[in-house]
Amino acid sequence: MNKLLSTLVIVLVLVGVLVGVKHFLAPKKAVINLQMARAKGNPDARVKIVEFVDFQCPACAYGIKYLKTFFDQHPNDLYLQVRYFPLTNMHHHAMISALYSECASRQGKFWELDDLMIPDQSQWAQLINPEPVFQSMAVQVGINMDQLNTCLASDDARRVINDEKSLGQTLGIVSTPTYFINNKMVVGTKSLQDELKTYFPN
Amino acid sequence: MWFLLRILIGSIFLVSSMGKLLTPYQNFLYVIQAYQLLPSQGEILTAQIFPWLEFIVGVFVLLGLWTPGALKGAGALFGIFVVVVGQALIRKLPLESCGCFGEWIHLKPQTVIIMDSLSLLLTYVLLRNLKSVQKFSLDSYFDKV
Repeated sequence: MNKLLSTLVIVLVLVGVLVGVKHFLAPKKAVINLQMARAKGNPDARVKIVEFVDFQCPACAYGIKYLKTFFDQHPNDLYLQVRYFPLTNMHHHAMISALYSECASRQGKFWELDDLMIPDQSQWAQLINPEPVFQSMAVQVGINMDQLNTCLASDDARRVINDEKSLGQTLGIVSTPTYFINNKMVVGTKSLQDELKTYFPN
Repeated sequence: MWFLLRILIGSIFLVSSMGKLLTPYQNFLYVIQAYQLLPSQGEILTAQIFPWLEFIVGVFVLLGLWTPGALKGAGALFGIFVVVVGQALIRKLPLESCGCFGEWIHLKPQTVIIMDSLSLLLTYVLLRNLKSVQKFSLDSYFDKV
């Protein structure tokens, strides 16, 4: 076999193997859970967004603020659901902030706590222990503190967060914020903005 | 010993490309966007094509197939990395990691620009020592056939 033909065969075989492996590892589709407390908007909206976030990630905070403004402009055209993807190897407070959010969501106060936690992210992210800040925020939004502390101490909230992160990993997520807009994966706020423009050109 | 360095360069490209090719391209697109260098369509195209380029160059360098061309390709890619990371450092873009190896390995841009510059230099040295670089290569096999 001459060199040129061998080269062609080698390239085709390797690309074929890689495409096969890629296909085998292809992520599943994100499933929208309409019963979830961490969701808002119109369940019948034409645009459904699942947002995987780490509450300590600065890009996530920017994305959450952007989506909040966008949501206020299009309240009937969007359905938004938040899922946890704490990057615990990068952000020390990723898990504890997710735990507070999950425990708040169990009292129907997820969005209220989110509205306080996200704008102040740059402050509490610097602290060695952000829990006093989170506790104070929880009081402000009217969370029952006994229930909150019981929830924080339980393994169940942590299990929910870890399960959602595992789900995210099977969907091919490696960084945050990652969104699924009508099941199409987009990573980062720039791609989110570009994708939303295709649904809302004006 | 030069052929071992050829294998090292090829392996770097293979690992780097695999980290990007085996996850959805959107993850690498996010990395490219952080460098704020291309228009949106250019970023998408680069995210889809660039890992395959790295893969092909990596395979050719590793196997020692069309070695001079493959090494020139590797040098060109290292040159691109140096320019892209360099402009990000000059513009003080907020990059936590270079994103060069997907999510498998995290390197700071300051570290990676030194690594890429050294690799570029090494690629040049390999091109100057082609005869020993092509030891245990498919090129030397085909030359004998």
